[in-house]
Amino acid sequence: MAEARTIESILIADCGTVFTKLLLLERVEDSYRFVAQAETLTTMNPPWSDLGVGVVQALEQLEQITGRTLYASGRLITPQQGLEGVDAFVVTLSASEPLSLVIAGLVREMSLESARRAAAGTYTNIKAFLSREGSLNSPQETWARTIRDLAPDVVMLVGGVDGGARRPVMELADAIALAASMLEPDHRPTVLYAGNAELRPQITKLLGDITHVEVVDNVHPSADTEHLGPAQNALEQMYIEERMNTAPGADALMAWSRLPLLPTATAFSRVVDYLYHREGQPSRGVLGIDIGAATTTVAATFEGRPYVTIYEKGIAYGPLSWIKEHDVAALLQWIPEEMEAEELLALLYNRELRPWTAPQDPRELWIEQAIAREMLRSALAVALPTWDVGKGSKRSEMMPHVDPILITGGGLVHMPRPGQALLVVLDGLQPTGISTILLDVNRAAPALGAVAGLKPLAAAAALEAGTLVSLGTVISPVGKARPGDVVLRMRITYEDGGTLNVEARYGDIEIWPLLPGQKASLEVRPNHHFDVGLGPGRGGKVQVVGGLVGLVVDARGRPLTLPDDPDRRRRILHGWIWDVGG
Amino acid sequence: MFISYSMANPLTRVRIPRRLPRPGGVLVRTGDYVEPTRIVAQAIEPADFRIVDVARELGVPLKKVKAYLKVKRGDTVAEGDVLASRGGFGGQVCRAPIDGTVVGSGRGRLLLEAEPTTITLAALVPGSVVEILPAEGVVIETVGAFMQMGWGNGKEAYGVLRVVVRAPRHPIRPKHIDAASQGAILVGGSRLDEETLTQAIEMQVRGIIVGAIPPSMIPQLEAVDFPVVTTEGIGTMPMSQAFFDLLRSLDGREAAICGRVRHRWGGERPYVVVPMPAQAAQPLNPEVPLTVGSRVRVLRGPYTGTSGVVADIPKGLIQLETGARLPGVQVDFGGKESALVPFINLERLL
Repeated sequence: MAEARTIESILIADCGTVFTKLLLLERVEDSYRFVAQAETLTTMNPPWSDLGVGVVQALEQLEQITGRTLYASGRLITPQQGLEGVDAFVVTLSASEPLSLVIAGLVREMSLESARRAAAGTYTNIKAFLSREGSLNSPQETWARTIRDLAPDVVMLVGGVDGGARRPVMELADAIALAASMLEPDHRPTVLYAGNAELRPQITKLLGDITHVEVVDNVHPSADTEHLGPAQNALEQMYIEERMNTAPGADALMAWSRLPLLPTATAFSRVVDYLYHREGQPSRGVLGIDIGAATTTVAATFEGRPYVTIYEKGIAYGPLSWIKEHDVAALLQWIPEEMEAEELLALLYNRELRPWTAPQDPRELWIEQAIAREMLRSALAVALPTWDVGKGSKRSEMMPHVDPILITGGGLVHMPRPGQALLVVLDGLQPTGISTILLDVNRAAPALGAVAGLKPLAAAAALEAGTLVSLGTVISPVGKARPGDVVLRMRITYEDGGTLNVEARYGDIEIWPLLPGQKASLEVRPNHHFDVGLGPGRGGKVQVVGGLVGLVVDARGRPLTLPDDPDRRRRILHGWIWDVGG
Repeated sequence: MFISYSMANPLTRVRIPRRLPRPGGVLVRTGDYVEPTRIVAQAIEPADFRIVDVARELGVPLKKVKAYLKVKRGDTVAEGDVLASRGGFGGQVCRAPIDGTVVGSGRGRLLLEAEPTTITLAALVPGSVVEILPAEGVVIETVGAFMQMGWGNGKEAYGVLRVVVRAPRHPIRPKHIDAASQGAILVGGSRLDEETLTQAIEMQVRGIIVGAIPPSMIPQLEAVDFPVVTTEGIGTMPMSQAFFDLLRSLDGREAAICGRVRHRWGGERPYVVVPMPAQAAQPLNPEVPLTVGSRVRVLRGPYTGTSGVVADIPKGLIQLETGARLPGVQVDFGGKESALVPFINLERLL
């Protein structure tokens, strides 16, 4: 506590794939406030090959903005001395290359799927899945060739419930041993064993002399149990040690900091978890989305349990490979004007070549928004099955009720108008029930998650002090009706006593004025086929707070579908854009 | 404020890193002078291998396999050679599926490994080796014209530049590619189409430089065995005037063209180097600040690929057509055309 009282200023560096952002926090009486921020290109790769170059460039910008000296004699001045330097420096990093991973297991729907979910909690790139795929013969030669040719950082071996299958797991282990022995010793993959616990001694004996073996709890210890935590923790630790701590220039940054480097996704999930506990409503989950240049992170907390999913595609890096898995038509469907696939593809290629650029005309902006929608949808599709909430219900494929939804990352925060960001979130996430959408305007949330490890009160105070701006409260009734049918009636009672009786029709987005910070009481009465989170056809009174867009009813139904007819679809898209003021 | 840059300079001293695709050995030393074809590093490609299940093929228990083996670890075998045999009535023979060496045995199986292949790395540019990148390659310093490109198909070559169009907006056509194009690096204008590519393959050109290529052609271009690079990127843009003028001034000179492309986790930018006789030249300084008169090129929006000079650096923010407000500059494109462009969508031409 004595140390905590001495922290007058905190400098946060968030080194992303494309941009490095610096934020300066200072103590003002009993709270912490943002003083300044600066941004420059991340310099981990050639021609710089040193993370520190970008951090120092941003430091120089901060010095110009604040007029104080932060950097001297080739290092950050710490602790603060008068008006020079800062007391603490924390770094979050997502710029490092993900761990390359091969997953070997028995049953695709069970252990392999569990391993995939565990891997999604860290920055990983799954290069291959190895399994028998129903074949009676053991394709050991193919498995060994795959591992040898890919030379991954980690081979994750899973399979067999505890006390279950032995021989098929050992066949996979044999192939891994063969492949590893054919690689140079310093290029051999680490083997993370998270399978049948009874085989641990055999696995260690077979592979231990060839490569490093790490043993953790079985990810699928019984037919109906999944246990991902230990495997996730082991992968995250490997990412920190093999990727973050060895990133070019990371050693200098670590020398300036009193905290270890933290993966950005981990830091972000702390903030989402904080919001869950701040809200104090255990029945509702809290969701956070960080859509960056190379990854989309989905962090959520349900019933007090935090979940993190890192989808390995973002706004700049990923759409081209995403198109190979899906189709360019899935992006084109969101463009409100006629556009050839060639025009869209050209922009995607050029965006990868110059990921720091910004859309300059509406057509480029529509493409970026289409990408954001589909990255959100895909990231959510990966995250949803990992959440231990709503499983087995009719709505298990829909977004569970979450409030608030926190949005950060350059892919959304840089939208020119708040309504555009809101519409992308509604189309991409399709929230249900009543949710407040919070925009992290300074893109500070992940960094504040890192600060929480040093001084939780500083992180909380900075979050409360205007970092998160509400786009509005959104009511999303779930149900089906004919276009134009009234699905919801509502009485809005403002703080000044004024009232407004309104209704929302199926297929529309309706917006009523409710300014940021302004409170209102709603008396909600949904159509008996619709559910606003209070039960089918059930209404009630709720208190809401306004935002930059206002009070929104998204009455387009769930799941949201777009018309196949291109002209009709474009008219509808234009209508929605108009509705949100985009 | 970050502003990116591309080098497009008629005379500079430049350091070219040359890296193997996988770890290997370096064959030259610091201070060596190398010609473009000199092999500076090499690596061993992992060999093919086979697991031969002798026990199964002979139909014998694992413990008895050893008695039937005709080869031992370290033996070289040719495809079809007998690895093991079980005589007698209904006897079985187990033969080698590939040429190779027996590198392992156990649990009734043999492991055969084929002869590994060697991959080599040529210097590509003439110059002095100034740095050894252990197990990776070398850095070569050379003097000449240097241009950083937008996109490349991953291939590289050394040959004579031949400018075949008269203006940067003119596309390269089959009629531009004749017998004199054999072995030459052709410089076109705006774009390349399939018919022209077919003609280029037939005429055995050594490389192609154009402004941009349509995205649908990328798979074809990645499959050809000569380099294709674009100055601007992907799409339907003309070559920027600054690049075209420089390439035209170098018509007939020998050039190294490298189509290796930057990816998410590193890599390098494609480039063209035209070596000049050794003379005094200084490396370019990317840290030079942007000022009125700086040469720039636009990276996005309606003027993508257009080069010009900074005419004004207004205070405050400029408003884009999207509604976004960002810091930027007024760019004069020559003639009567000019536009406001945000810094982030601009690059300096050095």
